[in-house]
Amino acid sequence: MPSIDAASTADSHGEDEVNKMKVRFELNGKKVETETTAYTSLADMLRDDLGVKSVKKGCEHGECGACTILVDGLPMTSCIILAPQIEGHHITTVEGLEYNPLMTDLRQAFIENGAIQCGFCTPGMLISSYALLRDNPHPTPEEVKIGIEGNICRCTGFTKIIEAVLDAAERIAPE
Amino acid sequence: MRPIPKFEYHAPVTLAGALELLYELDKAKPIIGGTDLMVSMREAVCSPSHIVDLNRIPELNYIREEEGFIKIGATTTHAQAASNPLTASIPALHDAVSRIGSPQIRNRGSITGNIVNASPAADTACPLIVHDAEIMVQSVDGTNMLPIEELFAGPKITCLEPGELVTEIRIPKPPENSNSAYKRIGRRKAFTLSVVSAAVYIQEENNVCIDAGVAFGSVAMTPLRVPEAEDILKGKELTPENIMEASEAVKDHVKPITDIRGTAEYRLDMCPVLMRRALQTAMERMR
Repeated sequence: MPSIDAASTADSHGEDEVNKMKVRFELNGKKVETETTAYTSLADMLRDDLGVKSVKKGCEHGECGACTILVDGLPMTSCIILAPQIEGHHITTVEGLEYNPLMTDLRQAFIENGAIQCGFCTPGMLISSYALLRDNPHPTPEEVKIGIEGNICRCTGFTKIIEAVLDAAERIAPE
Repeated sequence: MRPIPKFEYHAPVTLAGALELLYELDKAKPIIGGTDLMVSMREAVCSPSHIVDLNRIPELNYIREEEGFIKIGATTTHAQAASNPLTASIPALHDAVSRIGSPQIRNRGSITGNIVNASPAADTACPLIVHDAEIMVQSVDGTNMLPIEELFAGPKITCLEPGELVTEIRIPKPPENSNSAYKRIGRRKAFTLSVVSAAVYIQEENNVCIDAGVAFGSVAMTPLRVPEAEDILKGKELTPENIMEASEAVKDHVKPITDIRGTAEYRLDMCPVLMRRALQTAMERMR
């Protein structure tokens, strides 16, 4: 039975000493090796073992998008990925894109358009928007909606986020 | 927070290795994207003792055309399929993989996983049914080909025995003068399960419909083909009257229920509507 204290760090599971395993991957451009268990989610490993706190846990079902990260450049929800599944892969979070020109413009557009209220969805929202604009520098409003459909925001009603993404697109590659 | 139940993790690098593990291990589950399995595990609906990760098996990731079929390997994701030119020749499937879930889900989840999860709402199921797809089922004992409809035994239940793995989906390369479309209605447009969905396939010759496929999602225990509607379309021109007759006939053959996403009445009424919308799109694509 799962323990009630779900703190899904390895230590909260009883026999974990036996089940420990090493996972090696690249996190924001740096090689990392960390000890975890097979039944630790990537989101938990990033937050609890590696201190990457931009990765938020909302639904833990892959539906809210707050834990969105890039795996080999593609946005995915880290709550439904098992830690050992990323062995050898490249993980990128907003921390790794701090000085990226596209992310810098996106972040600024989010701030100036009031696209951030409580901030909980923001890192995931930025990652999805980043992947969208990277692959499609001139999205239509409809394409923006599809690009962020896997990220839920309970504050803004989405309008300001969509405006911010469109504004960022203008800054990056004015037509 | 919902912990993930404990299990032992295996990551074979060959298909033979995976089949061996699935045969030998007790309560073993294969994982590809995990977009459904991880949810079931967190909800404690499913507590496997062993997880066999198929993602390290290069021979399972492909889309290719061969022997008159479009063949899709087990670990092929929705996003991989959506961006592959071969999928464009299966328009209804392209419709489904382009909009299933969210970008995050499309990048992670596989078509095979979507059908093996056997939800009556599985978006890729109806397009595959109307295109007469077959699945390759492999185990240590050998290989079987099955029409995809035979996979679905009930809501979230498949005909697969322990140790069996769906390793490939095969879709006959659609002939000239054919087309298809997939339409759905959800509670919202973004990232949602369908309340009702419909896929249609048509092939025309001299303005006469010579072959048709019609299937619905979320209106029965499994994704459902409606041969009665197909038979009404076959051999006739696709006139508004014939389309009306075929689509209204569907109501006698689907068995929707009321659940959290919609009522049985609404679903029943929407079946003919969605079928007409899908036919409309398929016909427009043909022109």
